[in-house]
Amino acid sequence: MKLKRRRQPPPQETIVSLIDVIFFLLIFFMLVGRMDATAPFEVSPPVSTAGETLPKGGTTIAVAEDGALALNGEAMARPALLARIRELRAQKPGLFVRINAHAEARLTNLLPLVTALEQAGVEDVVLVVTPHPA
Amino acid sequence: MKLTRRKRNMALITLTPLVDVMMILLVFFMVTSSYLDLDMMPMVQSEAEGVAAPAGPAPTLLIRITANGEARLRGQPLTVQSLATALQDAPNARVLILPSGGANVQGLVSAIETATRAGADNLRVVRLEAPE
Repeated sequence: MKLKRRRQPPPQETIVSLIDVIFFLLIFFMLVGRMDATAPFEVSPPVSTAGETLPKGGTTIAVAEDGALALNGEAMARPALLARIRELRAQKPGLFVRINAHAEARLTNLLPLVTALEQAGVEDVVLVVTPHPA
Repeated sequence: MKLTRRKRNMALITLTPLVDVMMILLVFFMVTSSYLDLDMMPMVQSEAEGVAAPAGPAPTLLIRITANGEARLRGQPLTVQSLATALQDAPNARVLILPSGGANVQGLVSAIETATRAGADNLRVVRLEAPE
């Protein structure tokens, strides 16, 4: 005997649940990621587990392996960078500068820069490290 | 004469453009954000929170970083143990790190990490002058 199953109408697919999921994902990625200007060259920070938590914000100086510099994602030479830092320092006295240096960069490209920043009047300079190697 | 306007149907608000915009925002934030776990090490601190200069002449421990990135204390390779022992003999000693210009950033960071682990709280890095 053949039993005829009554055909059910297909359930209405609501777009509202899709919006909910996308909204959750959007908020998640906004909270987890940090919106930093990325340098125009490869920078992998040195590894150290003794670092402190990096606060948000601030001006970022990137130092490449070969000593090239970038300020907030824009490649520039050292004199221009220091002039720009002095301008920023004049606008905002408590300027926070973080240096994102490549782990293999030579210290002759880093330490004189820190001295120059200090002479420019910047009182808060940190070096970015990562607790886990990339 | 009174003209009656024909009632128009209310336009339905469609949700599709909203989904589109949210999708674009989602992709934007996924692509532009960086998800590296970053920490920091202070290099210059304002005087207010810096360590007060000791009253008397404090003993100094010098850590050298060689050009290939090895840290040395009194001619021996630097370890947490050796620095902790040296700090026990001179509790309020200043720890100076003298890096070679040829060493890399990882070498300096590793030496600072070892010194921090050994309990050095008065830590300074000797800065090199800019080559003109």
